[in-house]
Amino acid sequence: MVSAACSHRYFQIDVFAPRPGAGNPLAVVFDAGHLDDAQMQAFANWTNLAETTFVLAPTTEAADYRVRIFTTQKEIAFAGHPSIGTAHAVLASGFALPRDGVLVQECQAGCLPVRLEDFEGRPALAVRVPPSHIVRHANAGDVMLWKILSSATCGQTVPALVEGGRRWWLAELVDETAVRSFKPDNPAIAALAQASNSLGLCVFARSLHAEYDMVVRAFPLGVGITEDPASGAANAAIAAFLDESSALDLLGNRYRVSQGREIGRDAMLLLRIDDEHEVWVGGESRTVIAGYLHWQSSRCNSN
Amino acid sequence: MPSPRRFLQLDVFSDRPGAGNPLAVVLDSDGIDDHSMQAFARWTNLSETTFLLPPSQPGADYRVRIFTPRQELPFAGHPSVGSAHAALESGLISASNGKLVQECAAGLLPMRVDGEGHERRIFVRAPKARVVETAFDSSLFDAVVAGLPRGQLPPVIVDNGPHWWLVELADDVAVRGMKPDLAAIAALTLATNTVGFAVFGGCSDQDHDVVVRAFCPADSIPEDPVTGSANASIGAWLHMNDALPGPCYRASQGREMGRDGVVEVEVDDEGEVWIGGKTQTVVSGTLVW
Repeated sequence: MVSAACSHRYFQIDVFAPRPGAGNPLAVVFDAGHLDDAQMQAFANWTNLAETTFVLAPTTEAADYRVRIFTTQKEIAFAGHPSIGTAHAVLASGFALPRDGVLVQECQAGCLPVRLEDFEGRPALAVRVPPSHIVRHANAGDVMLWKILSSATCGQTVPALVEGGRRWWLAELVDETAVRSFKPDNPAIAALAQASNSLGLCVFARSLHAEYDMVVRAFPLGVGITEDPASGAANAAIAAFLDESSALDLLGNRYRVSQGREIGRDAMLLLRIDDEHEVWVGGESRTVIAGYLHWQSSRCNSN
Repeated sequence: MPSPRRFLQLDVFSDRPGAGNPLAVVLDSDGIDDHSMQAFARWTNLSETTFLLPPSQPGADYRVRIFTPRQELPFAGHPSVGSAHAALESGLISASNGKLVQECAAGLLPMRVDGEGHERRIFVRAPKARVVETAFDSSLFDAVVAGLPRGQLPPVIVDNGPHWWLVELADDVAVRGMKPDLAAIAALTLATNTVGFAVFGGCSDQDHDVVVRAFCPADSIPEDPVTGSANASIGAWLHMNDALPGPCYRASQGREMGRDGVVEVEVDDEGEVWIGGKTQTVVSGTLVW
């Protein structure tokens, strides 16, 4: 039988989800101090989720907890949906309590505030995302990009390569229908991602729908994922791009995003650009699975 | 809010957590409709998610429904072994005389439980296998096997539910060292209506008799970590050719992708193929869906 020393509290959270199953799943492992890097990576590969996080005691007094974020292939410095989902699990488990409505997350990208917010009357969390900026706008020489976009009509901004830790190509399309009916050429996007050292392509459009103001689809073929159900950092990059381009217009400094319907999800994200031009991304999360993880650990082996 | 249901995430064909093929199992699945089952199976993002129900037919110990992220399956090997483990672990059933009967969409399937505790292994009888004769463009096949040192058995398509391409290679070194041309495999499997392409070879290490790898790139699975149906079809193909290493043998699969699964294959006196192995409980908890 598995001894208590080998057990970790474990959560699987649905992030950016107005209802169970609508969002992006995240695995969260607590009491991870005695798992080594290889064991964390092996578990993150085994879950087969976009990201798995491990919660640890903070190494600085400024933070309430420390998180390490792994994809199935490697550790990453920051991502939006793992930050929101981990903060949700930290609160659900009682690992830490908010101070003045804020939790401070320590991760490889530094200490980032996570705020308790209100999303149309329901509790939500929002994280301040590390800044991103435009690397360059697309030009006539970007043959691969224009070929991928050839069947779509572009919107009011010129597509751009942006960088905020990781790189994305962003392309505004003319309207919601153009985004929802967009047919991604997966091999071409994978080749674009490789050639530009980016995660891939995001397309977006403004919407006049009553429940959301923008629709987004993200294709991170650079890490082998065909389409992402709900992308925190990518949405933050879109907000920063529009702010830097002075193109937020009617979106204002707070808007709602619909993502994931084309792959059977229905995620909702809340974007906010504060007075210092920092971008916050947030939404509702739900605890779907709560229990214990029984994984090998060095402490168990030595027992 | 719906009430919580018991949930397990298991590692199947594995003698330690993380070496095998993961499976999500929802116990107490009464009242979950088809749409919700499919949505949860998509959300787990695992190759299979199963839902345990009380049996609806006399003679069955439990009923299971098996879903991939895209569709419901009548039967599959690793979900059957894992679901039986979950039913035993949770106390839903007990194995009398080491025998169980699983009800699934493919019908009533006999299962066998050997040993106890960490040494417990669960076996399921695989559906009968038959060789499929298919006309196809041989250049598609040649593109996949170019440069591979082949074994003595001819290449074949075997149907035991799914259709598998089976190609024997010279030895374990050839199998482990194979660099698959995934685009060529996708083209071949699509052209021949097969789920995937499996290679196998004899293995002389102490712990295994056969080494297996299975590729399903057309189904968005470049390589499967540990594959029940492919191992069962290889067992049947070896039996048809009087080439079994013995009435029961151990196959190694998954090392090339960081796993280390073990499938035990047995062919009984009636020529039926059984596959089985150990299962680890990795996550135990509750589900709210």
